[in-house]
Amino acid sequence: MNSILETHPTIYWEALHDKFYMKEEIYTMEWEDINLSRYRIAGAPYGGPIAMIRDDSKILTLGNEVKSIMYFYTSAGKLIYQFQWTHGKIISMQWTDTENFVTVLKDGTVCIFDIHGEFSQFSLGREAKDYGVIDAVIWGSGLVVMTSNYRLIAVNNLDEPRPKLLSDAKLTEKPHSWIVLPPQFTLSRSLEVFLAVGNTILVVDISDVQDQLLIQGPFTKMSVSMDGKLLALFTEKGELWVISTDFQKNLSQYNTGSTVPPDQMVWCSGDTVLLYWTGYILMVGPFGDWIKYNYESPLYLIPEIDGVRIITNETCEFLQKVPESTESIFRIGSTEPGAILFDAYEQFVNKNPKADENIRMIKYELEEAVDTCIQAAGNEINIKNQKALLKAASFGKCFIEFYNSEKFVKMCQIIRVLNAIRFYEIGIPLTYAQYCRLTPEVLIDRLTNRYYHLLAIRICNYLEMNTERVVVHWACAKIKTFTDDEEILSKIIIDKLTSTNEGKPSLCYTEIAKEAYRSGMPKLATKLLDFESQAANQVPLLISMQEDELSLKKAIESGDTDLIYLVILHLHRKLPIADFFKIINEKPLACSLLEVYCKQQNLSLLKDFYYQADYKSETAAILTNESYKETDVMSRIEKLKTALKYYSEDKDRQFEVKSTDEHIKLLQIQEQLEKETNQVFLELSLSETIFKCLIIGQTARASKLRSEFRIPEKRFWWIKLKALVKTNDWEGLENFAKQKSPIGYIPFIEECLKANAPQEASKYVEKCDADQRPALWQRIRGEQQ
Amino acid sequence: MSTISSFSQERSVTGTSLTNLNNANSSDSSSSFSTTILRDFARKELIDILDSIRGKKSLVIDPTISGSLSLIAEFSLLKEHGVENIYHLQPGRFNIQCQHLVYICRPKMINMKYITEHIHENSNNPDNEIQYYIYFVPRRTMICERVLEDVGVYGDVTIGEYHLDIVPLDDDLLSMELDNSFKDLFLDGDMTSLYYVAKALLKLQTIVGIIPKIIGKGKCANYLKDTLFNLRRELEANHANSISSIPLFPLNSEIDSLIILDRSVDVITPMCTQLTYEGLIDEVYGIKSTFVELDSSLVGLTQNTANISHKLKKIPLNSNDKLFSQLRDMNFAVVGGILSQVARRIQDDYEGRHQVKTVSQIRDFIGKLNNLRAEHQSLRLHTNMTEEIRKFTLDSDFNKFLEVQQNFIAGITSHNLVEYIEEMINNQQPIEKTIRLLSLLSSVCGGIKAKSYEFFRKEIVQTYGYQHIITLDNLSKVGLFKKHDKSKNTYPSVRKALKLIVDDVDEHSPNDISYVYSGYAPISVRLIQCACLLSNSKSMPLPSTTSLFNPSSILSSNNTTNNYDDNHSSSNNNTNNSSQSNVSWKGCEEILKLLPGPIFEEEQPVINNSIYLNKKNQNQRKISLVLFLGGCTFTEISSLRFLSQQEDIQRDFIILTTDIINGNTLVDSLINQVQDEIKSLTTLNYS
Repeated sequence: MNSILETHPTIYWEALHDKFYMKEEIYTMEWEDINLSRYRIAGAPYGGPIAMIRDDSKILTLGNEVKSIMYFYTSAGKLIYQFQWTHGKIISMQWTDTENFVTVLKDGTVCIFDIHGEFSQFSLGREAKDYGVIDAVIWGSGLVVMTSNYRLIAVNNLDEPRPKLLSDAKLTEKPHSWIVLPPQFTLSRSLEVFLAVGNTILVVDISDVQDQLLIQGPFTKMSVSMDGKLLALFTEKGELWVISTDFQKNLSQYNTGSTVPPDQMVWCSGDTVLLYWTGYILMVGPFGDWIKYNYESPLYLIPEIDGVRIITNETCEFLQKVPESTESIFRIGSTEPGAILFDAYEQFVNKNPKADENIRMIKYELEEAVDTCIQAAGNEINIKNQKALLKAASFGKCFIEFYNSEKFVKMCQIIRVLNAIRFYEIGIPLTYAQYCRLTPEVLIDRLTNRYYHLLAIRICNYLEMNTERVVVHWACAKIKTFTDDEEILSKIIIDKLTSTNEGKPSLCYTEIAKEAYRSGMPKLATKLLDFESQAANQVPLLISMQEDELSLKKAIESGDTDLIYLVILHLHRKLPIADFFKIINEKPLACSLLEVYCKQQNLSLLKDFYYQADYKSETAAILTNESYKETDVMSRIEKLKTALKYYSEDKDRQFEVKSTDEHIKLLQIQEQLEKETNQVFLELSLSETIFKCLIIGQTARASKLRSEFRIPEKRFWWIKLKALVKTNDWEGLENFAKQKSPIGYIPFIEECLKANAPQEASKYVEKCDADQRPALWQRIRGEQQ
Repeated sequence: MSTISSFSQERSVTGTSLTNLNNANSSDSSSSFSTTILRDFARKELIDILDSIRGKKSLVIDPTISGSLSLIAEFSLLKEHGVENIYHLQPGRFNIQCQHLVYICRPKMINMKYITEHIHENSNNPDNEIQYYIYFVPRRTMICERVLEDVGVYGDVTIGEYHLDIVPLDDDLLSMELDNSFKDLFLDGDMTSLYYVAKALLKLQTIVGIIPKIIGKGKCANYLKDTLFNLRRELEANHANSISSIPLFPLNSEIDSLIILDRSVDVITPMCTQLTYEGLIDEVYGIKSTFVELDSSLVGLTQNTANISHKLKKIPLNSNDKLFSQLRDMNFAVVGGILSQVARRIQDDYEGRHQVKTVSQIRDFIGKLNNLRAEHQSLRLHTNMTEEIRKFTLDSDFNKFLEVQQNFIAGITSHNLVEYIEEMINNQQPIEKTIRLLSLLSSVCGGIKAKSYEFFRKEIVQTYGYQHIITLDNLSKVGLFKKHDKSKNTYPSVRKALKLIVDDVDEHSPNDISYVYSGYAPISVRLIQCACLLSNSKSMPLPSTTSLFNPSSILSSNNTTNNYDDNHSSSNNNTNNSSQSNVSWKGCEEILKLLPGPIFEEEQPVINNSIYLNKKNQNQRKISLVLFLGGCTFTEISSLRFLSQQEDIQRDFIILTTDIINGNTLVDSLINQVQDEIKSLTTLNYS
């Protein structure tokens, strides 16, 4: 019988209690003549890169290079980048979740490198600098260092480093070992540090130190499982002890018989612990079972969420618990539906009628069987095996009515992607489980970070993802690494962007422009910004590029007034006032907004603005309004006089000139009146002033005002009429009516009626036109009743 | 949920409307857009904000949005989410003992000043450690943060955003509730509110779908459209960045067109006195965010008339009040009659108890009783209010005012009418009223003759006070009250072309929108009518009302745009889509040229294919969103509701406005308010 498998998977399997573990070789290392034992190594999870630097604590053999060089390799041992190490003594080094390489130096400096050696750094502060760092633990997105006075300093977020001193555990000597439990795993949601001191463990966080009161110590090695739930402790007596990280559960104990602590102790596939001593790996399961793997070569273990990568001088291997689906199909003697389906397919290929029998056997579990095969295909590294499993699934599918093939199609896609990135040239050996956890988006980011833009774009297109990020990254990288003429570069980039961006709204050009600006190509930056559709992105960059005029223009185009304010206020702060106005002046919207702002916040700026723009009457208007805020009449008049001066400079403002002039006069008269009569006159209008004069008997004053301000006769009649009615001076009203009224006599009647004096009103009816009289009489009668 | 279409259904009960054509179809379409979605959104966000602050808290609310907030969430709801007290944001001392103080305010600099004062004051008091939060409506602005920074309190406050933009005032009425938007846009040239409107429109489109057709008139309308397109592009670019596969806009918009009008296109309408029931309530009492404040004796709640405390009570006016929704759009002249009819009906219903014989009939009657009570209550309220308003309308001043006004809009500006304004000034009528009439005169004459202009300005300044030289300047800047210049007065042609004046108005069963002003049709709504009607008439037999428009103008414009039209119809044939948007300015360009501001007509690219559109939309009543920039009046709303029931329009309208205005509020916003503080100190009773 021909096997449809390249190698039967079970040949790599080894049983540990009731589970199987398999160890497969993924790569033969590309590097040559590397002896891992001479290096300090840091490997990133998710098939990430490996950083290596010569370990200066180990003896050099003559003839080897002396200079320290930092190497970044892929998992397949392909060199990504190397650079000379000039930064000082490394205390600890590790990769972060975003595949940045972090090193903690003795003087408390933290250096962060991207995969191409681009570097940034920050300091951990005074305490670290003064005492020096003796040890450090770096985890996914943060780090904790120990200073020589045994204080702990934590940084929770490497993107925005804020070093915080943790609570003082009052140590007098270095702990036997220590580890960090990242915040996402703790109950308190804040970072905890476990210090193995004496026979016990101290748990330190930002505010508290808690002694767990253990007696099994001292613990010379500790390790936290990938999910943060379990803690493996290696005691001085050579015992491996597993407890939960909340110290509540005692899970297993195993005596290794070695009092020397292992070089590395890591978790594998959730519940087993790998211990590495030179020459062999010991794998200890939860029930005390163990497997021993012997190695001649020195090695380095990189824990993954579903297994452990083992890097040796020659190979990269992956050790994991056999996934459930794979186990159910390939376990010797398995009668699970998946296994039977796979067998049926094998029979089918070999033209054996048993295939039919098999299918009948699992008639009702076919769907489960197909799903299992699909799943197992995903877990497979070997391409031929993948194909076999997928074909089996496809075969099984045929016997199901209405099977939704989405799962199948999706898995095929993912397998293609995984195979592409596992290819030794790329060297990212992701498993299916890791891929799901990592998400395709992050995978794309990692590919672009390594400059595999073409592959990234192809994967994006294949998975129908947006290619934008890749394109932007490509452009940025191009700008960073390009050494030729700016013109050529900008042509390449813009051509590329416009061609890949056909029909789509737009890319985030700002990011590229920023890079161009940073790399000293302002022209390209400006050109790129022109393509940017989002003003909110564009404008701040334009401001920092000193593109004053353009930034204002773009802000105005956006219609977002707040953005316009951002530019206006920035320009105001930055530029000499004349230049500032010059830019603003030609833009009506900017002018309007400046005016609105100034009216509430900065009147003096507004006056300057009006002055330079020669807006005389606007200046006068401000002064006019300001005059009302003055408390004494003198300063009010002063303000008004200045206003008058401005108004008179504008020939279209004769009315305002005259009114202001009159108002000044009126104010003076009112002040005088107030003094003489002890009544309030200020704030009254001219008509009101005359009215009040009449009421308080200042008739002469009223007449004088009337003539001085040339009050129209009609108005004066109204005022006098109202004043007479108000003071109930009915006799006076009658006398007044004897003259010929320019406003007729109906107002007399109306006012009398309003004052509830119908009797008085009736006196004026006869003076009205004959045809109006009946109606008027009727009204008066109505009121009387 | 009541929708726009069911709204018109209700109206048909009133007896004023004609047959409602598409009742069956519109009620079938369950997906019809409902404004309550917006309310639910706003409500949820408010609650999220409150919940994000642990423990008891006090709210300080910007008075300009308190009306909107009361429409979004009732006090009991706020209480459930830990709000203990609510204050208005005001200047001056503010002593408060609490742990969390939450400000909800518009991003205005003046508000920042008040808040700063509060914080400074409290910081002197060390035992009262307060946590401050500011939630900006509808968004935080750099400029406000800057103000806070400058005075050094930026670090003391937690800043957030409350994206309350569109406030649904009723089933068919949406408002941004941006007070004084007219002044901001047309006097200050501050386009901030347009940006907010554009943002809100975009948000609306993410709910209802892209509105395929946009037409508009006016500078701001044009600006808004550009901003809207910009924002859409930005949003789509942003969306493309994220990998989400959910489409940004729903596939199929039920709103097929957006009509944008600047208030400056028609300033005549708000200057006229509104004569519908709701309009008059607004003119007399003022309606704020659907609430009217009435003396509690009017409301009819206080049974014991002995101790009438003159307390003001807030009464909501919306379509939940069935009687009100029946009355609101009617000319006031017929309201009394309807009320007595309703009174008789209610009486009959009560009398129905005598006919009740069997037990089940009693049960039915008891069941109806609650309803009857509510109806009775509402009847009492509206009868009282009508009574009050009637007093107001019977006043001779009011009638004279109305008469002059109606003459003006009819183009009669004889000397004695103009003299009436002088008398108003001399008689110390409120300045708003005077200015309304003056502005109307100026608008219908295309400016006032130099001599009169000088005269009135002097009269106003000398009578109402010197500060009004700036008021007058403001009025002339926005073109409300200006000197006659060389340009031709276009109003007479507009009046004729749009047939603004309709003499034989039957208020009881109106056949034209002009009933809302008893004989004058608002220009704004006439324009909308043109846009909806003329294009319709191309494919349909001419309905009778088309004769409304000056036939010659139609003819001439048809000739000039013949080519264009052909293109249009051929494209129509291509897509073979009879229900494609047929709102268009085509055919009335000539008229539009007479009014200020550019016109535009744009098709927004829509993602969906026409086949889908065809299938779904064929029998559904189309909806137009009408957007007023700078405010609209209740009469305009009523006229649009009336329009939607006309046979030749065949569409429903949803109105979105920056704010609801009337002549008084519009003029008020332009008056130079220097003396606020001083006036309150020296109150003097004149006359």
